[in-house]
Amino acid sequence: MKNTIKVERAKKNWTQEDLAGKIGISRQSVNSIETGKFIPSTVLALKMAKVFGTSVESIFELEKLD
Amino acid sequence: MEKIKRTPGNKILFYGILWAVVYIVCLVIVKKLDPFKTLGVVLSFMPTITFVLFIYNFIKGVGSMDEVERRIQLEATVWGFTLGLLLLMTLGLLDLVISLNKEDWGYRHLIPYFFVFYFFGIFISRRKYN
Repeated sequence: MKNTIKVERAKKNWTQEDLAGKIGISRQSVNSIETGKFIPSTVLALKMAKVFGTSVESIFELEKLD
Repeated sequence: MEKIKRTPGNKILFYGILWAVVYIVCLVIVKKLDPFKTLGVVLSFMPTITFVLFIYNFIKGVGSMDEVERRIQLEATVWGFTLGLLLLMTLGLLDLVISLNKEDWGYRHLIPYFFVFYFFGIFISRRKYN
């Protein structure tokens, strides 16, 4: 699964720490999700979309192998 | 004086240490002081009380972790449990063949292995997700 978290963060000028604080997870967890090592739950994906002011589909996208 | 914050991690550590201390005290009394049988049996079950406190706080602590940390804990527990099972199975089979020395491979000598397996799991899982 691909994601655009880094791009969305850059748009808002947020660090991983900033995003982590806004959605209530650790910075390491944000890094795991951003680098695609961990697929977040629907709840967490929705929280991310909410703080970025966008939809889940615009942040997370399935790849051919998914 | 700065107050120590009561985070879930601190509580888990506190109850973990309490459990270990009670176990060690009971072990020393049972082994060195050779109490009468009934007291020995009571002492053998004493660490169960602190274990219950530890496991309650551990599960509560895991519940308050974020989902990546929870996955790490789950995978570490799976590593710890399955490697522990493998160790017991292997020793069980070996014992049939070469009769293991109980002073080296008794139940209480196996306890540290379970901690090693759990922390090995934590190491593997953290490398995977962080």
